[in-house]
Amino acid sequence: MADDDIPQQLRYTARHEWVRDDGEVITIGITSFAQDELGDVVYVDLPPTGTQVRADEPFGEVESTKSVSDLYAPVTGEIVERNEDLDDRPELVNADPYGEGWMVRIRPADRTELDALLDADGYRAELGG
Amino acid sequence: MSPGLRSTPLEARHVAEGATLGEFAGWRMPIRFAGVVAEHRAVRDDVGVFDVSHLGVVEVTGPDALGVIAESFTNDPDGVVDGASQYTLCCDPDGGVVDDLLVYRVDAGRWLAIPNAANTAAVLGVLTASAADRRAEVRDRSFDTALLAVQGPRSLEVLDDVLEGLTGRDHVASAIGFLHLTELEVAGAPAVVARTGYTGEPGAELILAPDVAGEVWDAVRGAGAAACGLGARDTLRMEVGFPLHGHELTRQVTPYEGGVGWAVKLDRPAFRGRDALVEAKERGPRRVIRGLLPVGRRPVREGMRVTADGDEVGVVTSGTVSPTLNRPIALARLAPRIEPGATVQVDVRGRSEDAEVVRPPFLRRDPRGTPPAEEDSRDRR
Repeated sequence: MADDDIPQQLRYTARHEWVRDDGEVITIGITSFAQDELGDVVYVDLPPTGTQVRADEPFGEVESTKSVSDLYAPVTGEIVERNEDLDDRPELVNADPYGEGWMVRIRPADRTELDALLDADGYRAELGG
Repeated sequence: MSPGLRSTPLEARHVAEGATLGEFAGWRMPIRFAGVVAEHRAVRDDVGVFDVSHLGVVEVTGPDALGVIAESFTNDPDGVVDGASQYTLCCDPDGGVVDDLLVYRVDAGRWLAIPNAANTAAVLGVLTASAADRRAEVRDRSFDTALLAVQGPRSLEVLDDVLEGLTGRDHVASAIGFLHLTELEVAGAPAVVARTGYTGEPGAELILAPDVAGEVWDAVRGAGAAACGLGARDTLRMEVGFPLHGHELTRQVTPYEGGVGWAVKLDRPAFRGRDALVEAKERGPRRVIRGLLPVGRRPVREGMRVTADGDEVGVVTSGTVSPTLNRPIALARLAPRIEPGATVQVDVRGRSEDAEVVRPPFLRRDPRGTPPAEEDSRDRR
């Protein structure tokens, strides 16, 4: 897998989510590796804004033509925005996983939880490469 | 993947193309190449090629070959002429569906049966037992053949070009009647080209010697056919409402409960499962196969429970998001009282999703490549 599929400036989870620290909130999506493994994404289930999520617990689902996978919250916090575009165009997750295919924005309850996330090198190691 | 899986003769090509391989009925098969949706669209709009070498090929030869076919399967093979095929079922003595399959009558003394990979051994067993006291021989050719399915509106044109290049004969594919077949030599090896398929589109299935399959695959790809995997094969067949054994059809349901009762001909001498099927027909089906159109965008999947006003009325047997219709579709085994037009609820991991009950298919296509005739819509595969 090409290195540019794991952007250096993002943080990652071992469950193949990426996290971008935007200051007060963080943006979350799934990695290029994850979307490629899933195949064509046909449905993304995201909770409404205001939902409280807990670190390492499922908060949503992403479905391909064949299977369904849970989305896990990388940190505890509150959903402050969901990507409404995915309701009609779930294929954005495949086309642009780190951009238009983002999923939710979370206001972390405790920003120190972010320190536990993987950096790009750590995630690359997780993928075995 | 488990060790000991069988590989098709084209596996090295699939790996080189970056296909995602998966385990299917004891075989390592290409599940997807460019992506299920892109492959699906290629077949609906243009042309695609599938490696379906996992399908069984069982040859029945000899003066009593017809008798073996007639006793082993549910449809009536008497009217099948040389070079024609028939959709039929292999049933258990209790009426359960062991497999659904195509049989080809090459000539009076030579038939080919094409069972599903997972059921090849069972069908082979039934045929072998039937042939034991007849002048007929049954031979499993599943592992010395490769099968390709070339499907889509442009498939016959592509195959005509490719086969002209390989055999020097023109219009080979387009000259074959729908559901008929022809034998020919391709690159010096015997081959069968049949105007059959499992996508609802015009097309052909080719039975080839393993060492010429690669050449044919490359030529078809070179003529513009998209490489397609079993993922797209599944979404394509679901849109046109074709049953898949292990899902809509199982040993636990009768043909009448699997939506394929039309392939059982009871007005003929004893065949495997006949007595039970006579009873099953009189009794009426306890379940029927229906289509479901979920109201929302959330896909429903195989195994999910279906209720109507709180009563359990059935189970989803196959489900996906239709790439053509861009909405979820599903097939379900439901109580017969749940009529098309009704609204039911599907339990999607604890959430209740409304769905409209419809009569499949979800999409009407014409595999003949000519304007559709309504009354023939059940001529499948």
